[in-house]
Amino acid sequence: MARIVCAWEFGTGLGHVRRLLPIARELRSMGHAVSVAVRDSLYIDHSAAEGFETFAAPLLREPMDANRAPINSSDILLSLGFSDAPALGGVLRAWRSLFEAMQPSVLVADYAPSALLAAGFAGIPRATVGSGFALPPPGNPIPALRPWMPNDPGVLKAVDDRLVACVHAAAGKAAREIHDAPAVFHAEAHILCTFPEIDPFGAREGVAYVGPPASDEGGLEVRWQEDAPHRLLAYLKPEVPYFDSLLADLSGMDAEVIAAVPGIDPARAHAASTGRLRVYPRSVRLEELLPMASLCLSHAGSGFVARALVAGVPMALLPLQVEQYLIARRVEEAGLGALSPPHRPPPRFGEWLPRLMASEPMREAARRHAASHRGYSFALAARQAAERVAALAAR
Amino acid sequence: MARIAFAWELGGGLGHAMACNALARELRARGHRIAFIFRELAPLAYIAECAAHDVFQAPVSLAEGAGKGMPSSIAEILLGCGYDRARHVSGLLAGWISLFERWKPDVVVSDFSPTALAAARLLGLRHVSQGNGFSIPPRLTPIPAFRFDEPMAPGHLEQAEANALASLNSALARLGAPTLGSLAQLFESDEDFLTTFPELDSYGTRAASGYWGPGFDVDSGDTVAWPRGEGPRIAIYLRQFRQLDALVDAVAASTNRVVAFFQGVEPARTARLAGPSRLLSPRPVRLAPLLAECDLFVSHGGSACIGTLLAGVPQLVFPGQYEQYITGRRIEQLGAGTWVGSEDTAETLAAGLSRVLGDPSYATVARAYARRYSGCTPHEQARRIVKRIEQILAAPSRWARSVPARTDAILAPTSPGPKAP
Repeated sequence: MARIVCAWEFGTGLGHVRRLLPIARELRSMGHAVSVAVRDSLYIDHSAAEGFETFAAPLLREPMDANRAPINSSDILLSLGFSDAPALGGVLRAWRSLFEAMQPSVLVADYAPSALLAAGFAGIPRATVGSGFALPPPGNPIPALRPWMPNDPGVLKAVDDRLVACVHAAAGKAAREIHDAPAVFHAEAHILCTFPEIDPFGAREGVAYVGPPASDEGGLEVRWQEDAPHRLLAYLKPEVPYFDSLLADLSGMDAEVIAAVPGIDPARAHAASTGRLRVYPRSVRLEELLPMASLCLSHAGSGFVARALVAGVPMALLPLQVEQYLIARRVEEAGLGALSPPHRPPPRFGEWLPRLMASEPMREAARRHAASHRGYSFALAARQAAERVAALAAR
Repeated sequence: MARIAFAWELGGGLGHAMACNALARELRARGHRIAFIFRELAPLAYIAECAAHDVFQAPVSLAEGAGKGMPSSIAEILLGCGYDRARHVSGLLAGWISLFERWKPDVVVSDFSPTALAAARLLGLRHVSQGNGFSIPPRLTPIPAFRFDEPMAPGHLEQAEANALASLNSALARLGAPTLGSLAQLFESDEDFLTTFPELDSYGTRAASGYWGPGFDVDSGDTVAWPRGEGPRIAIYLRQFRQLDALVDAVAASTNRVVAFFQGVEPARTARLAGPSRLLSPRPVRLAPLLAECDLFVSHGGSACIGTLLAGVPQLVFPGQYEQYITGRRIEQLGAGTWVGSEDTAETLAAGLSRVLGDPSYATVARAYARRYSGCTPHEQARRIVKRIEQILAAPSRWARSVPARTDAILAPTSPGPKAP
């Protein structure tokens, strides 16, 4: 039996907790004592209510002059608060105190680079878990996030050097082994909870792909109602600027449409549900809907993309940020969907979506690709990740 | 020897961390073990002594104040800091409980930490509060508003309090703990250390026995002397704020001697002040040897302002938030200084600066205030507070534990026990 700390430091929303908690549950069922540290106190209760000892993760805040278009993974850390050496120093101290109090055998880090550093300084073995974006692609300097744009290696190196300098300024002698930016992200095991073909940085060596976790738990049960030729399943954010025009186009489409829009005002969802379009203000169960869907429309979050992939449903993707864009590009390159980049005006939905729904080659490619995942179980990913963590604890 | 946890949950700036540090230093010197559980960890960089302490992140809401207007009462502050949702309060409480269960303090010292007070109470831990007044509201129902510059709709205060209390009580009920009858009960403690005097108290005068006086530590920081030169001596403690450039211009435009600490400000922004008669320190300075000759203290109105007024120094305040605005107004009412609002022009700012430097009545009033409390040095304040805390520690906790102990904690706390300094 080992003490294991699961930490989430950066990123927003419930996704990180949804990835970590199933792993924590598996570890506990294997007999380990698990504690959890979460970035957003709004979600402490999700973990504490299950009986996990839960802490607030030491908090770095975005500096006022944060770079909104970071060029590589080092630059992202700087823009998330690593550039503030006194704050980073305080955060590293707080992780140290927490580790001294907990004496963990392993740290599991879900986008938790300062926890990784502090655990490294304390000699605690580390495993990262994530969908791939938090772990930079191999290379020194750390490669650009947008390899399709011109990138000066000198600039990348300068950003890497700045990150290393900040870590040194914050941690002093403890950081003497941190010679370059890749060392900041180092861990004894990297567990990628995704498929290699939708790893935002492409399939890579030296990591374990355990597959994406997913669960319909808490999702609303809805069914297709018509025997229509086309059925569109959408997962959308209500904040996007084109939201209203998209809904209008969806309601006028020659297809049955189910749109899950968590966060939308329920009254607005009700009012938008006209004709063959139904809008739900929360998540829906996908298991019953996906097999009959002819197209999945989403912002290319890795979870929904993985579900569509396994179900063999082609995708229309409207990524909102760079991680989603990288995933969407990989889907498009594989011929499994089409995307509209975040920096361009949205497509004419009334033309784009019917064209994609009617595309026989795309449907065929999606079906063929799904065959490679036949038998994959979303429920087992957490178990596989937990087994790799436990192996590290036993080492 | 006891384990003493300092909790800082709400409020910004360096003052809270510095106030905790001043008291922690005295307690550690007496052999107690210290933990700092702070909402912001960057100020630790200015506190060399904390290397000996355990340090933890306080659970705080990431959405603090988002979408809310200026709060009028403690209830509204709480609503903007997670108390608008029962589940968020549950999480905040659970975070504090985990820390306290793991570190096992004998007493919790709350510096504006209402949720830490609630968690300490649930675990049956002794708990005390320290603060300038704003963070320790009078035990009334509803807790009175601190805003006085705007009329409030009838029932507004009561509604905010009812909402915050409902979230808190629903979170307490989930934990199987007794609910509270009023929000004021949340602030009940073994002792309230009101570290100010009635003249500056945000809530106006309360029973005199409740005032312990300012504890602002004028004795730590880098040792510097007033630069040679002509003109009034001005000490400046400021962070980045809207009128920073206007203030720099106004100070640079006249003859004076300056010692300044601009926390987290790019040196280029203050470069115009450079010169032999002005010293810009990259770190807080030891104010004690400077204050006797200091003609003006310029700050945002936090604990440094309250602490230097105790040395009889007139004040110029640039309030960064409402608590500091109240302090600025109180200082103006007292006649010991003035304040400049964030919407005021550069001309108004420059006029305020020359007025407070040119009119000797400000110094007269400030010195009279200092004389009134001449026995109340920060050192004496700390001695009395330490004595009271040790008295509380010597008696059994008067709070009964109301939540069950954790069962899955397989390892006892491992941080080293108390060490003699």
